[in-house]
Amino acid sequence: MKLNTKKRLQRPVYAMGMGGGGGGGMGGACFIYDNNLQANNTLVTPDVVFQRSIDMNIPLTMDDGRTVNMWGFSDGGGGGMGGATFPSAAMRVTQGQIVHSILSVNMMWAHTIHHHGIEPGWESDGVGHLTWDVRGTSFTYQWRPMHAGTYFYHCHTNTVLHAEMGMYGALIVDPPEGPGTLYENGPTYDVEAFWVVDEIDSSWHTLPWSAGTCGADVGLNDLNPDYFVITGVDGSGSSAFGAAAISPVVQVGQKLLARYICAGYHPQRIDFGGLTGTVYMSDGRPLPNPVQATELRAHSAERYDVIFAPTEPGEYIISTDIIHWVSGEVLGTTHAKVTVVA
Amino acid sequence: MKRRDFLKAGTAGLAGAITGSTGMLTWSPRARAATITKTLYITDGFINQIDGTSVYFRGYSNSSGTLDVPGESMIVQEGDTVEITLVNTLATEHNFVIDGMADSGVVGAFSSRTFSFTAGNPGTYMFYDNANGVYNQLLGLHGGFAVMPQNSSNELYPGSRTFVQQQFWLFHDIDPAWNDRLRQGLTPNTAYVPRYFTLNGLGGRPPGAPGNADPNVNSMIDPRSALHGSIGDRTLVRILNAGLAAQSVHVHGNHMEWLTENGQIRPDVWEKDCLYLDGNRGILDMIYPYDVPPDSWPPATHGEYPMHLHSEMSQTAAGGYYLFGAITDIFFE
Repeated sequence: MKLNTKKRLQRPVYAMGMGGGGGGGMGGACFIYDNNLQANNTLVTPDVVFQRSIDMNIPLTMDDGRTVNMWGFSDGGGGGMGGATFPSAAMRVTQGQIVHSILSVNMMWAHTIHHHGIEPGWESDGVGHLTWDVRGTSFTYQWRPMHAGTYFYHCHTNTVLHAEMGMYGALIVDPPEGPGTLYENGPTYDVEAFWVVDEIDSSWHTLPWSAGTCGADVGLNDLNPDYFVITGVDGSGSSAFGAAAISPVVQVGQKLLARYICAGYHPQRIDFGGLTGTVYMSDGRPLPNPVQATELRAHSAERYDVIFAPTEPGEYIISTDIIHWVSGEVLGTTHAKVTVVA
Repeated sequence: MKRRDFLKAGTAGLAGAITGSTGMLTWSPRARAATITKTLYITDGFINQIDGTSVYFRGYSNSSGTLDVPGESMIVQEGDTVEITLVNTLATEHNFVIDGMADSGVVGAFSSRTFSFTAGNPGTYMFYDNANGVYNQLLGLHGGFAVMPQNSSNELYPGSRTFVQQQFWLFHDIDPAWNDRLRQGLTPNTAYVPRYFTLNGLGGRPPGAPGNADPNVNSMIDPRSALHGSIGDRTLVRILNAGLAAQSVHVHGNHMEWLTENGQIRPDVWEKDCLYLDGNRGILDMIYPYDVPPDSWPPATHGEYPMHLHSEMSQTAAGGYYLFGAITDIFFE
């Protein structure tokens, strides 16, 4: 690994792309900072490279038969379209590796990648207004994760809309021991589940990428979800019960690690359905003293890593209520299942 | 408070009377309790929002001719006598309460009252008006209040993790339809749908926006809100929510050391990048450690990162205007 010795990036002189100016634009984009883009001259030879491009057309079929359009990051470069899933392909790395995330975006829209909970240099933080948005080119984010744990990455351009549209994926940092150990010298696990719980307001899902940025009232202050998903699957019924990564089968004597990500904007309460788990980590940091829990509350972008060592065979339904941020009303519930066999 | 002010304040102060708002803000550790006096004028008026909407507010103001939303934050010391004079310039009844510590009683229309209380346990509190349920708090009658431990300049409570500077992040959310009904003396008759979101009374003004360079307008650079520090400048942030929406407080650059939740000392200090802030007077204390951003390569000592609420609806104004909501900047200098 060799350091690039060029001088640091200079803080950009701000200039806005596409429409610029204040509010009042019609159909354009305002306060988008693609014109600021600089090459990342902190780059060194990476250990791991992820290529991501943009897909703005990911149909997600719900239990009621309706299809809702999602956006996401394709696993591959070139700025092309298509091929992404919801959630986007996970990034999984080992603590201490130098990682490059290369984002390629065509001219049709602007996006970034922010590796949430990862704390890189500011030029690699992916926050549009403090650095730049990416449009019509590629940009390489560099980070070296030093804390194992559960994270996620998401777009940080017009974030309120783009993250709601599904532009996120799991980001897992394994300790030097590799998968099977939660953090360095930490607890081990045999089976892994991903409970990424999100709410969808389908009325937002026909908006253009720059909606609201020029001041139009497009209702982004008021999220009224009508669908509730867990790791990309309609969670209102039992649709997630057949997905092993969401609804695992565990033998008595095995340890199940659940990586729970609150991916929505409203608060959540997750109930472990009669199981008691040990919460070892939150937000990519070990707790000084692990906590026993039968349920947790969480708010947007919090993560909790919970290990279960079930002793009784049976089916345990994991229910996550999505709770209105003002009223406290339960708006919907997702369901996963843990099957424990002898 | 910036570090230089904090250190300057630390050289002054003995027992005795400290008057006026300046006395409040230049709190310094003292061996003995003092009497702190402060006059708050309950005023009202309109504040223009980014979309041109003029919204009605009331505030605990520093003069009869201003409208200060939120009221200026105060820092006192455990055991101090705090003497508040409330001057109600309005035609409605108001009060001043701090849960478990202070209650002015009702101050009638166009009247004044002086009352005093003893600063209680060290920690972070909200002063607010509950004379009409939650409505006056929502109209802007709220502010941050801190009690420092006796003889300590660097602890939240005796034995807490230490800091070198401190400040308040007071969040609010506003449904202008409610404010307008209350202005008319009417009870709100619609569901509460917040439409504006502020940090210490201001919203963001991103680069290129009107007011971007004005710290009196832009929460991103408002010195009450933005964090400034070098590596090691551990910063205590007292986080309060005067609005009704539960928020997720998210920082970039470093994880936060989470010390308290709603007045309770956490049994362990967890390091978090998001903190769950309850609506309607939720309170948190955290230290932003100003460590080298741990995942930077090469290791970064300078940069600019955001604090924003991850309950992202709060990052908007008037249904759009992403980045004009409750957000500020964290400067590594």
